[in-house]
Amino acid sequence: MNKVLGDKKTIAVFALPAFLIYFVFALMPIFYNIYISLFRTDLMSPAVFVGLENYTNLLKDTTFKKALVNNMLMVAGSLIAHLPLALFLGNLLFQKVKGSHFFQTVFFMPSVICGVAVGLLWTFIYNSEFGLLNKLLETMGLGNLTQAWLANKRVVLFCVIIVVMWQFVGYHMVIQLAAMKNVPEALYESARIDGASKWVQFRFITFPLIKNILKIDAVLIVTGSLKYYDLIAVMTGGGPNHATELMSTYMFYQGFRTLKYGYSAAIGIVLLLLCIFALFLLNKVFKSEPYEY
Amino acid sequence: MNIRGEMYIMNSSLREKIIEVLKYIVLSAFAITCLYPILWLFLSSFKTNDELYINPWGLPERFQIKNYISAIVDGKILTYFLNSVIIAVAAVVIAVFFSTMVSYAIARMKWKLSKAALNIFMLGMMIPVYATIVPLFSIFNKIGILNTHMAVIIPHVAFSFPMAIFILTGFLATIPGELEEAAVMDGCSMYRIFFQIIMPISKSSIVTVAVVVFINVWNDLLLPQIFLTDQSKMTLPVGLAEFQGQYSTDYASMIAAVVITIIPSIIVYILLHKNIMEGMVAGALKG
Repeated sequence: MNKVLGDKKTIAVFALPAFLIYFVFALMPIFYNIYISLFRTDLMSPAVFVGLENYTNLLKDTTFKKALVNNMLMVAGSLIAHLPLALFLGNLLFQKVKGSHFFQTVFFMPSVICGVAVGLLWTFIYNSEFGLLNKLLETMGLGNLTQAWLANKRVVLFCVIIVVMWQFVGYHMVIQLAAMKNVPEALYESARIDGASKWVQFRFITFPLIKNILKIDAVLIVTGSLKYYDLIAVMTGGGPNHATELMSTYMFYQGFRTLKYGYSAAIGIVLLLLCIFALFLLNKVFKSEPYEY
Repeated sequence: MNIRGEMYIMNSSLREKIIEVLKYIVLSAFAITCLYPILWLFLSSFKTNDELYINPWGLPERFQIKNYISAIVDGKILTYFLNSVIIAVAAVVIAVFFSTMVSYAIARMKWKLSKAALNIFMLGMMIPVYATIVPLFSIFNKIGILNTHMAVIIPHVAFSFPMAIFILTGFLATIPGELEEAAVMDGCSMYRIFFQIIMPISKSSIVTVAVVVFINVWNDLLLPQIFLTDQSKMTLPVGLAEFQGQYSTDYASMIAAVVITIIPSIIVYILLHKNIMEGMVAGALKG
């Protein structure tokens, strides 16, 4: 048996195609990207080696800094918006609710819809003329609050974060709910016998035992918000006046609109480093010992 | 029991009922928040532009399909739709086929580097696609496949491997070894074992991988926007984004185009939501 399962040729036939595709089109490009980021190039005429100039220019680029700050605001906003709300809804569904499956399915649904479609849907909602939001404010007698939401650079980033929330809260809720279901039922039973309230059960049983998943979920939220692209591309295009510019949209603009590929590649590397940094940071913040149960 | 005790029991059961009702109110409110915008899209897609302004909330006066016709005729939505189908189906088939094979090798076959191979694939979950698009553009330019569907399919396949292999190896590791042993006794080759035994019993995991890859590819804007230049090769998300620029006053037709774009995802979701939810959160739960 081991002879059959250990046959080198068969293993190669099974494993090599996927590995080659993955190596050539996912791993190797990262190193090639580092290389390109050291050049001034439009990929057509000969490239000029400039060392770290693209990176030092990034530090001086006010638009890039604006994008970086916006990305950080998106990360913070998404964490604040997603984690507590998802945890709250997840905890509600965790308590033997009738139709729990239905609610889960509905809450999760927005996250499978195309980001461009979601972006367009919400530009209709925020639209200054027929948008639902303004109409709703008018019917509530708050007509003086109506405005062109996506053209106001003070509120536009907030408006975008609301959309991200609408799309992904259910997704994070399902992750956290799955974690809650892994907590042994016996713990709750003994807590109930001791007369522990729902809040005490959540605070001292559920929360500590799903902390690990919360950490992973936080990683997903952070790396996810570093990668948002289509929503912004469709809703604001990074505007007005770079108020919603993100590293992803700025990278696209620098590379594929003004053909500064070296510069664009450098932004890609910064994004990669930020993702890795976020992972390490969250590992430090949430250092939790494994629980025995 | 004294009166106070009875009052207490009544109060606490009343309190529980109120909490119970509040719970359903909160859950229903959130469910409406999720569903109403989508329902609004469907209803609005049958309205005229004037109706959108006058009557944004309610049912359309009559269900007219003019918007769909103009989205298809003027907006070329059918061409985009076809391109999306070609790219998504090809990416799903290639990704499923190769990831099942490599997962089988990693989970069941005996070789020293199988654990290392799995780790290298899992590393990919951390790579943002942005760190690869400029070099991929350069590579595709050199080998001459820019502006072909292949240029979009290949990176999607490569980036689907970590999630796919994670799900598949997880399942394949649970298959009892006796199954393969018996097959080998009967003189089956590895290939027959794989295609006639392993693939059929892995059906559920394979479906999970397939639908998650489908949804990711169908919804993606970035890769087709970068690697395709011909209008006639564009996918739906790119088409929608263009539509927005060109016909920005014909909102009703744009809404119809949005509906055409999201319908396949919603149908797939309604049919296979269990697999999709399982697949999309799988990466998170490996911790």
